[in-house]
Amino acid sequence: MSFEWPWQYNFPPFFTLQPNVDTRQKQLAAWCSLALSYCRHHKLYTLDIMEAQETPVFNNKKIERKLSMEAIQVVFEELRKKGNLEWLDKNKSRSLVMWRRPEEWGKLIYQWVSRNGMNNSVFTLYELANGDDTEGEEFHGLEDWMLQRSLQALQTDGKAEIITLDDGKGVKFF
Amino acid sequence: MRRRGVGAGAVAKKKLAEAKYKERGNVLAEDQIVQMSKQLETFKSNLEEFASKHKQEIRKSSEFRVQFQEMCATIGVDPLASGKRLLVGDARCRNGGLITLNELHQRVLSGRGKYAQDVSQDDLMRAIKKLKVMGNGFGMIPVGGSYLVQSVPAELNMDHTVVLQLAEKKGFVTVGEIKEGLKWEKERACHVLDHLLKEGLAWVDSQAAGESQYWFPALFSELTSRDVTPEEANQMSP
Repeated sequence: MSFEWPWQYNFPPFFTLQPNVDTRQKQLAAWCSLALSYCRHHKLYTLDIMEAQETPVFNNKKIERKLSMEAIQVVFEELRKKGNLEWLDKNKSRSLVMWRRPEEWGKLIYQWVSRNGMNNSVFTLYELANGDDTEGEEFHGLEDWMLQRSLQALQTDGKAEIITLDDGKGVKFF
Repeated sequence: MRRRGVGAGAVAKKKLAEAKYKERGNVLAEDQIVQMSKQLETFKSNLEEFASKHKQEIRKSSEFRVQFQEMCATIGVDPLASGKRLLVGDARCRNGGLITLNELHQRVLSGRGKYAQDVSQDDLMRAIKKLKVMGNGFGMIPVGGSYLVQSVPAELNMDHTVVLQLAEKKGFVTVGEIKEGLKWEKERACHVLDHLLKEGLAWVDSQAAGESQYWFPALFSELTSRDVTPEEANQMSP
């Protein structure tokens, strides 16, 4: 399925940070939602701010408009405030993008566990993300760091416990 | 005297009784709500009937009208319910309060049931003119062969209106185009554009070749719905 661009993507001033505060708020909200749905569609988990300017999402070649570096930084910062992005380095050049926050992933995983009556069972992390049982689930293929973060969120809620197994980590659900 | 039983059986019995009371209580409460809503419904429909029967009196006596409307507002009856209501609110978020009459018409039609009366663009114009009387919230701005409907209070004067008209063909306008097209001084053009930005009606594009372009989402969506791409729009000369 091809990615469906929102109408703003073809609206030239969308690529210029708006001076009016209210307009800018709408603009940033639209940018956040576009960036997240784009990463989600392409299963992107990290974004490099230097590379970002060349990705189609921030650079519309058809209408010859691209978001400036400063504007991209503003969008990233906005995503961070919403809990959808984390910087990987002090210079704020690489970032983790979380189109679902760890708690949301945790919820999805826990729903799957409960639906299949597998509470009180132990899984290896590999099984969860790459096993045959989870094929077709949205969290199938989830990157390891994100999986661990989601399980930590569940652990905080008392719904899971991360345990050490012989060959790596595992998790028990309650 | 024999001690009252406190064994497991007694506790369970007590719990069961409590649960039964609670259940019964819930049923009673539900019954009551159903009853009350029925009564309110009847009252509402009587009130609506009364309103339509005594239209003339309600119109004539202002004192009576105020009291009647207050009463209606309290219980959620619309005394003017005629089925001709307008929902322009949608346009607020997207377009900063501007929408073309065409798009509004489409939205109104798609928002109504199939048995509803037909609504023409003329009906809409009449309705908006009536709303205009109530304050500066609503207005109509003639552009090209049609109109832009304004749904948020923004002070727009003649200058703003002619600039919108100038932007109609391409969805945007520049200071240079205003100077040339309207024979204005630069200051006047900038002043008007600043105001349109401030009101959230215009967006600025500073990556355009040459000078900045001031875009209007309402006009842009009309252009794209006619399958005109912005590049094509750019090539159209004013």
